[in-house]
Amino acid sequence: MSERKKLDRRDFMRGAAAFAFTGATWMAVGEKAEAKYWQLDPAKCTQCGRCTTHCVLNPSAVKCLNQFDICGYCDLCFGYLQPGSRNLDTGAENQLCPTAAIERWFIEAPYYEYKIHEDKCIGCAKCVKACLVFGNGSFYLQIRQDICINCNECSIAKSCPSDAFSEVPESEPYIYLTGDTHLAHPPT
Amino acid sequence: MKEPVRKTKHPYLAGVVIACVVGAYVYLIASEEKFPEPGPNLVYDIRKFEEVDHVDTRFAEMAPIALNLEDARALEIDGEGNLYVAGKDAIEVFGPDGKSVSRIPVEGTPTCLEFTPDGRLLVGLEDHIDVLDGDRKRIATWGNFTERSMITAIAANEEDIFLADAASRCVLRLDPSGKVIGRIGETDEARDIPGLEVPSPYFDLAFDEDGELWVVNPGKLGLERYRSNGDIVTSWYRASLELDGFSGCCNPTHIAFNSKGRLVTCEKGLVRVKIYDVSTGFFEELVVGSRSFVVPQGVRDMIVDASDRILVLDPRKNAVRIFEQTETQLASHAKETE
Repeated sequence: MSERKKLDRRDFMRGAAAFAFTGATWMAVGEKAEAKYWQLDPAKCTQCGRCTTHCVLNPSAVKCLNQFDICGYCDLCFGYLQPGSRNLDTGAENQLCPTAAIERWFIEAPYYEYKIHEDKCIGCAKCVKACLVFGNGSFYLQIRQDICINCNECSIAKSCPSDAFSEVPESEPYIYLTGDTHLAHPPT
Repeated sequence: MKEPVRKTKHPYLAGVVIACVVGAYVYLIASEEKFPEPGPNLVYDIRKFEEVDHVDTRFAEMAPIALNLEDARALEIDGEGNLYVAGKDAIEVFGPDGKSVSRIPVEGTPTCLEFTPDGRLLVGLEDHIDVLDGDRKRIATWGNFTERSMITAIAANEEDIFLADAASRCVLRLDPSGKVIGRIGETDEARDIPGLEVPSPYFDLAFDEDGELWVVNPGKLGLERYRSNGDIVTSWYRASLELDGFSGCCNPTHIAFNSKGRLVTCEKGLVRVKIYDVSTGFFEELVVGSRSFVVPQGVRDMIVDASDRILVLDPRKNAVRIFEQTETQLASHAKETE
């Protein structure tokens, strides 16, 4: 009758090391799961303003973008100007943006281009809402992935009233505005 | 004499109670909202703009016409009162009773429709026009009007056909065979023409009761009247957030005239349908305000039928909504005016 060999500590350590090595090798050479990043869907965004105050970063990683192929290059741009502005110019009292992050560039009479300086933008979405209601809706918010620290649980997503945040794959880190997005906007 | 020390039967109870209290405190602190709500300076509040049109009107909404169309964009009425609604790949025809009677297949999604005085149906398809005969069969296609075109409206009379071209930012004048014979509304200081500002594909035109051509200048928030040779006759602009003006970057989006020669306008964003005296540009009354529509929104088309009912193509409801002065309201208005 053969005697069963007793497993000693050294054998156990060898087995565990072999198991760990095999697992690490499999993970290294096997198909790697794609990384996920937080992003907000412009079709669901209701411009509540919480992207400014609820991000762990200050200023927020959420920035406004201008989709130029939707922009009307309007002289009377509601995303840029305070409602009821007497003069359509760059006077500080006429600007809607609380941080003056939007720059108005003359293109040709009577059309202007609106550039957003992301270093100044705090993601409050005032311009987004104004452009959406009164203009073509070319402004929209996105999380800048080069700024976002990709928290495990995004604090803005947690408090977003319209559930506009979701995790998107690394290969498509942004959700761009399209012509159909305008119609898909939820009621405010 | 030494007091006897009282020993509890449960020596851990006090520790458990203290741990629970501390745990609850830590939990409450941890779950407390760390982030402040955005203040008024960080929120764009449109309620004060919406409230401007929260007034009573003499118009009531009738039963809408539900559409079985995808991406409906244009309305038109023929001389017999049939309603034509154009959407993706089809034009649906409704009888005067609002029931669907036929469907005309088209290639693409029409952006505008217009009947010519000789009964042809012109179907605007972004950069070209399909011409349908009385049997609604395609007999011609007109195109290559400009380098790039976005035809958003058509108006036709006995002599001319006028196309509102949002991409070229002008009105194209065509002869009845579809040949371009003129451009209207381009900046011309010598002729005192300020130029049409068209920031978006909302650009409409219509004939008034005298057959004069009125063209919306959406970027200037007003209207301009032109002769067929391109001379400007008159203009008025009403940039205002109040009820008597037009707000936003580009309004009014659609215009039509009722049987009394009054101008009916429709706006996007805060949707408002209003009536103006076209010759002076004076606001007369509100037909329907923004509270009847989901905000923000762009109505796709608006027309006035022979009974002065106002038909609005609502893309969110995918229906033609009908606004009409009821008899009671008409009687009360007559009494008021007496």
